[in-house]
Amino acid sequence: MASCELNASDRMQLQVASLLSGVSTHGDQHLAEVERDLVQMDVLLDEAIKKLCASFMAIDQAIGVQQETLDAVLATGMAAPEQNARLQALRDEIGRHVGAAVTGLQFQDMTSQLIGRMVQHLAGLRDVFGALGGNGAATLPESGSEEMLAMLDRIGDRVGARCAELNGLVRSTVNQRHMESGDIELF
Amino acid sequence: MTKTILAVDDSGSLRQMLSFSLKAAGYGVIEAVDGQDGLAKARQQKVDLVLTDQNMPGMDGLSLIKALRGMANYKSVPILMLTTESGDDIKAMGKAAGATGWLVKPFDPARLTEVVKKLIG
Repeated sequence: MASCELNASDRMQLQVASLLSGVSTHGDQHLAEVERDLVQMDVLLDEAIKKLCASFMAIDQAIGVQQETLDAVLATGMAAPEQNARLQALRDEIGRHVGAAVTGLQFQDMTSQLIGRMVQHLAGLRDVFGALGGNGAATLPESGSEEMLAMLDRIGDRVGARCAELNGLVRSTVNQRHMESGDIELF
Repeated sequence: MTKTILAVDDSGSLRQMLSFSLKAAGYGVIEAVDGQDGLAKARQQKVDLVLTDQNMPGMDGLSLIKALRGMANYKSVPILMLTTESGDDIKAMGKAAGATGWLVKPFDPARLTEVVKKLIG
């Protein structure tokens, strides 16, 4: 009878060890994949914004030259007043679009901060899984339910401590939910 | 004489947009990649206005403002914080550190240059 109980206890211990190890290993693997994807996304966004900014500057410069040329034509007095007004209206419209584009192009600054925060949280979660796995199979007691419960308590405490560290890890610095320009306050 | 603005931000694209907007409005722009770099550049050349981000590696915006306010020639230079953060607590810390104003990202070029013009002409 005692032998039978011991076998059941051994089986339970093996299952617990296997579960802890599996959760730790697979959790860590999946989080590592997410982390890699986020870092890659940040790199791609960074490269994209550099190209967008370069093209935007080139377009703006070309428009500037075009407007100077038009100004020279207008100065000759060859254009009708309505054409002058139309060109001025177009110039104002371009100015508004340029302003909106400059505001929109700032998305990468915010997304990069958000990605950085996500990566830090992922690193913290991987620590949690590490704490779970590191205290699993390697430190399983040889026998006894009480010892097993005590060991699970210790694992619970360590995971809890890692989770608490994670909660205070990184403060949220980006709360924007749209790309409209923000408030201005002079003290 | 062209007024010079020191733009401090760890985001390259943000610095690019700031520089583009301020130069289009007729200002000279010096860029710095973080607080420490900003402080070094402010020491090298007296600027007319400082625009700084808050969250940067190394020295953050609040620390930069405190360091600048500790320098005799930056006691009264306008310093604007340009950040994603908009909480009352951090704004109060900025004000206590010596910031002249608080601008929440993203910025609109017309509104930014309007504020800059109001402060330094």
